Amino acid sequence: MKKVYNIHTIWLLMIVLTLSTYALGKLGYSGVIPVLFLLLTALVKGGLIIRDFMELKDVSLLWRVIMYGWLWIVCIAIAVTYIISI
Amino acid sequence: MTIDTTDTEPKLLPGDLAIWFFIFMELLVFGIFFIIYAVIRIQNIELFNEYQLTLNRELGAANTLLLITSSYFVVRAVQAIKENHVTQCIYWIYAALASGTGFLILKSIEYADKFSAGINLSTNTFYMFYLSLTMFHFLHVILGMIILLAVAFKAKAGAYNSQNYTGVESGASYWHMVDLVWIILFPLVYIIR
Repeated sequence: MKKVYNIHTIWLLMIVLTLSTYALGKLGYSGVIPVLFLLLTALVKGGLIIRDFMELKDVSLLWRVIMYGWLWIVCIAIAVTYIISI
Repeated sequence: MTIDTTDTEPKLLPGDLAIWFFIFMELLVFGIFFIIYAVIRIQNIELFNEYQLTLNRELGAANTLLLITSSYFVVRAVQAIKENHVTQCIYWIYAALASGTGFLILKSIEYADKFSAGINLSTNTFYMFYLSLTMFHFLHVILGMIILLAVAFKAKAGAYNSQNYTGVESGASYWHMVDLVWIILFPLVYIIR
């Protein structure tokens, strides 16, 4: 598993997720499910940057709470505003 | 018999602590900016949906790929210096800078297109947010590139090696923050409707 999950495959995964985001926009999908999918995609990509690119996976809980907390709060706030306006 | 606690001790933040406080402040500002955009959109849904379609999604997606790739190059630079490969570290930073330059060029093409169409900050609420958010981020890309360039010059001058690479990690962390912000900005402004 460790061999598959490395910095190169993480980069590839983020490329694929970005292309899926673009494709969803190009196809013109809107509504709760696409919004949640797009934000989930952003959460995964952001989480990978924090965990593996910034190398914060083993730092103290405080720093991880700040970084992941920022990501989750921003995405949840965006999700709420979009869902109540649909 | 001694108990080895090295595996359970949390690691320190990579790079200088000062750059992390800077990063936290930047994220706070961008986070507030994103939430204000989403809240203001509730009162202007039709306007935001209509003018979002005028944005160039292809350039936005290409810029996302460029920033993700440049972040990957920076990760490789940090790996290289940890293995004492100074020259490789410098080349990876140059590669990241090339990707960053690509981002700036594509963004400038996008801005030129909008400005030539007479669009500016006062055109409407959507463009006000689009231009101010992306330009604020644009300035951070420039600042990140200046930091990476300084790191490359210092590496070239022999300031870093496998025992001392805090400066490389600091520059890398800032650059990843620039990438992280765009990861939210791109779907928020260009795609989600």
